[in-house]
Amino acid sequence: MLLTAIVFLPLVGGLISLLAPDRAARWIAAIFTGVVFLLSLWLYFGLLGNGAPNFGSVTSPQWYLDVPWIDSAIGTFHLKVDYAVGTDGLSTIMLILNGLLSFLAVIGSWRMEKRPRFYFAMMLILETGVMGVFAAFDLFLFILFWEIELIPMFLLIGIWGGARREYAAWKFLIYTLVGSAFTLVGIFLIYFQTGGQSASFQHFAQTAPTLAGTLPFFGGSVSLALAVFLLLFVGFAVKIPMWPLHTWLPDAHTEAPTAVSVLLAGVLLKMGAYGLIRICLGFAPHGAQEFAPVLGVLAAINVLWGAGASMVQKDMKRMIAYSSVSHMGYVLLGVAAAAAIGSASIDYRQAALTGATLQMFTHGTITAMLFFSVGVLYEKAHTRDIDIFGGIGKRMPMLMLLYSVACFAALGLPGLSGFVAEYLVFTGSFATLPVATIFAAFGVVLTAAYLLWMLRRSFYGPLNMKWDWLTDASVREAFPLVALAVVILFVGIYPQPIINLLTPSLQQLLHGVSGLAVH
Amino acid sequence: MTSTIGLPQIWLLSPELSVTLLSFVVLGLDLVTRRKTVTWATALIGLLIPLALTFSLAFNWFGARSTSGFYGMLKVDDYAIFFELLFLLIGFCVILVSYRYVEKYLRASPGEYYSIILMSLAGMMLMGSSGELITIYISLELTSIPLYILAGLSRTDTRSAEASVKYVLLGAMSSAILLYGMTLIYGATGTTDLLEVAKATTTVLHNGNLLLIVGEIFIFAGFGFKVSAVPFHMWAPDIYEGAPTPSTLFFSVGSKAAGFAALLRVFVFGGLVALNNDYLWVMVAVVAALTMIVGNVGALLQTNIKRMMAYSSIGQAGYLLVGFAALIIHKSAVGNQAMMVFLFVFVVTNIGAFTGIIALADATGRENIRDFDGFGRRSPWIAAGMGVCLLTLAGIPPMAGFWSKLVIFWAAWGQGSGMTLLVILGLLMSAVSIVYYANVVWRMFVIEPEKKREFVQTTPSVGLTMAIAVIGVFALTILFGQLMVQVGVGANSLFNVLVR
Repeated sequence: MLLTAIVFLPLVGGLISLLAPDRAARWIAAIFTGVVFLLSLWLYFGLLGNGAPNFGSVTSPQWYLDVPWIDSAIGTFHLKVDYAVGTDGLSTIMLILNGLLSFLAVIGSWRMEKRPRFYFAMMLILETGVMGVFAAFDLFLFILFWEIELIPMFLLIGIWGGARREYAAWKFLIYTLVGSAFTLVGIFLIYFQTGGQSASFQHFAQTAPTLAGTLPFFGGSVSLALAVFLLLFVGFAVKIPMWPLHTWLPDAHTEAPTAVSVLLAGVLLKMGAYGLIRICLGFAPHGAQEFAPVLGVLAAINVLWGAGASMVQKDMKRMIAYSSVSHMGYVLLGVAAAAAIGSASIDYRQAALTGATLQMFTHGTITAMLFFSVGVLYEKAHTRDIDIFGGIGKRMPMLMLLYSVACFAALGLPGLSGFVAEYLVFTGSFATLPVATIFAAFGVVLTAAYLLWMLRRSFYGPLNMKWDWLTDASVREAFPLVALAVVILFVGIYPQPIINLLTPSLQQLLHGVSGLAVH
Repeated sequence: MTSTIGLPQIWLLSPELSVTLLSFVVLGLDLVTRRKTVTWATALIGLLIPLALTFSLAFNWFGARSTSGFYGMLKVDDYAIFFELLFLLIGFCVILVSYRYVEKYLRASPGEYYSIILMSLAGMMLMGSSGELITIYISLELTSIPLYILAGLSRTDTRSAEASVKYVLLGAMSSAILLYGMTLIYGATGTTDLLEVAKATTTVLHNGNLLLIVGEIFIFAGFGFKVSAVPFHMWAPDIYEGAPTPSTLFFSVGSKAAGFAALLRVFVFGGLVALNNDYLWVMVAVVAALTMIVGNVGALLQTNIKRMMAYSSIGQAGYLLVGFAALIIHKSAVGNQAMMVFLFVFVVTNIGAFTGIIALADATGRENIRDFDGFGRRSPWIAAGMGVCLLTLAGIPPMAGFWSKLVIFWAAWGQGSGMTLLVILGLLMSAVSIVYYANVVWRMFVIEPEKKREFVQTTPSVGLTMAIAVIGVFALTILFGQLMVQVGVGANSLFNVLVR
């Protein structure tokens, strides 16, 4: 029931805020997202207790609720969809991240003047969709929640976005739609190939190692597991976003208002990565193994392409958008390394996958902080052009400090959370995919280059007198930044609780993969 | 089969009979009183009688009903009852939503209008429950002729007159083709009784019987007109655009559902799907693919909302035909069930979408897609309801439209590579369809009204229809599992004769 409340409370809040007066909408949104965030924390702290806590895995989820919804059988055809929600380490961390960022996004858009009721309602409905994705334990339910975010995000970019919002919103919509059409085909395929009696995650986790054989394909044949993997992956790859399907992202980010960018980069991209790990890797490990070398190459391209594109951006927000592409490449690399064929021991694979999931969390917090910082600056200066500023740190010392923390975390400074994730990914992936890892590691250098260069051009150096009038971030504006900085610092110094949380579910995932490596 | 026509048999026919009587009562009232509210309310409240009678049949209130009456011409199985209820819902909503529009745009006395709708409704109800070819043909004509009149009711509008004439000509042609197909079936089997035809498919006829194949093609083409399948779809956009909007709503849901009801009755109940699988399948699959493509791509290009809805409903017919193709291949009730569920959801959501169009037309008389700019600001509730219905039509989760489309594709999945390709095409076309549905939503909610336009006033009847549609969509979503099971019973009842 706790999980159900977490999924549907935002929806209730959204409907209430639609009916409320304009001035009350933000308070309603803040209260509902705040409560949901606290509830999501309880998903973790509720399991701590005496002795070693059990955080659950796919086969034995926690907070599990299963209500039959659709159950229709005629002849050999059986359509069974349950409202099944549950958590394991992987989903818990994502649920908490979404709870946190949704709350901060509401705080960050406190001054929303344009149609506030509708704005906060859309934001809350979006939160319901994303929560549902991370909580679903039935594949049909998963795809259902997967698509809920579409229309709220479309409208959020479309109504409250920048000058080219129409283009950006439609591009976002079309890319996502075409991607998820393929994912749906993949779901059909895996559903029917594994008996066609159940779509529960537990069922797929059990059948995953046996998913083998070939499919006829225009005269030739293709490995079934690879077909399932690729079809499912198309939709996720658009969301992650993986090169060359990433082009919607810079447009969407640049045009979206600050808080929407935060959610887009912070949690929506994680939906894709979550799908890749939970569903593609978890339910079609053979396919993941076959595709892993290609995925490794694509990951390296993602890292370098994103970083290279960031280097040449003039718009600060667009630069951060491309840096997201680059950083999600590490997630891809971690997954590829965990799945790749080879003699590397299970420990390396686990390190790589832990790094990838940790990267999902840390990237969510770091990018959110970067976007919030740019948002604060943009709200005052009404421009995001990097070159136009100069030395404004003298007028905005607090913002400079927090922005620098975010940048340092993003470039992987030890002691901050980005380092832990990237270190784990590289350690693990070097054992299985050395070449891709070496190339991807250059991404770290490039990241440091473009972030520091940007900081130097805008915040450091002599003050451009044009910006003499700028004032520092207010307490309300700094609140999300400080909150995120605390999380980043904590995870950077003491990541063990999160790693402990993730380990059982990742071990379960790798159980399928490592079983294959022996063959 | 009972051989005397007594009260039990009249009971079987009572829903259709009472609708027909109601239509005469409304027509007669129109002579006595000129107050439009009286005829309107009579038609609405009167519809509760056939509804109650249908329920009495469904739940066997007066003892167990016989599923067959009038020497097998009337079938009152669960399948027929499903469609009777569906048509009553359609009739109720169409009459409910017409109130203001009829007063404002139609020169006909309102009583006439309601009475014509009710006559057509009786025909539609019979189309689902006839068990014999000639009866089906007569019900089809009973359905169609009032529709020709409805299309031309805007007497001052030349487009409406043009629509009516086109509809008459094309409708007559399709009827002729259908009838010709039926004579061929009669020639091949020596009977018009569908049950006898089904028996003949197991004994007399054999696979590849040329007479039967040609007959099947003609019958499919004849119903193809009714459901606006490509290449028999040309009439739909012109007639949807020209006809008064409430009539358009009636065509788009009523005529389509009736066409599919009769199509399934003839092909499944008549046992025709049991033979000539490959020929039939190829034909239906090609038509389904073309219908999906033409409908969805055509809808992208429209500027008039009613033309867009015409193409959209062509596209929806394409998805339904995918279900029909699946049905032909695996000859089990799954395809049938999927089609019926899809039709139900389609009817409810289309009613909601058209109610939004009628609300705008009531207030401004405009019906271009551009006229929906800022509709969300001018009439938030109606716009929100219309948005929900359009997105449900597009199949965006979590609404029932997603599930109903999923069920169609799911039934079609894995029946050979041809069907798999059809499913993939269908999914891509669904992605395309979201673009034009979302475009209307975009215009309603994102774009601000051109100038400061006034708040759109809507009548309670329009609001009530929208409420029915939206609550219906939500109820169908939450109770989708239940819907599948109940419809499955109806779908199965059609298959009981077809034992292979």
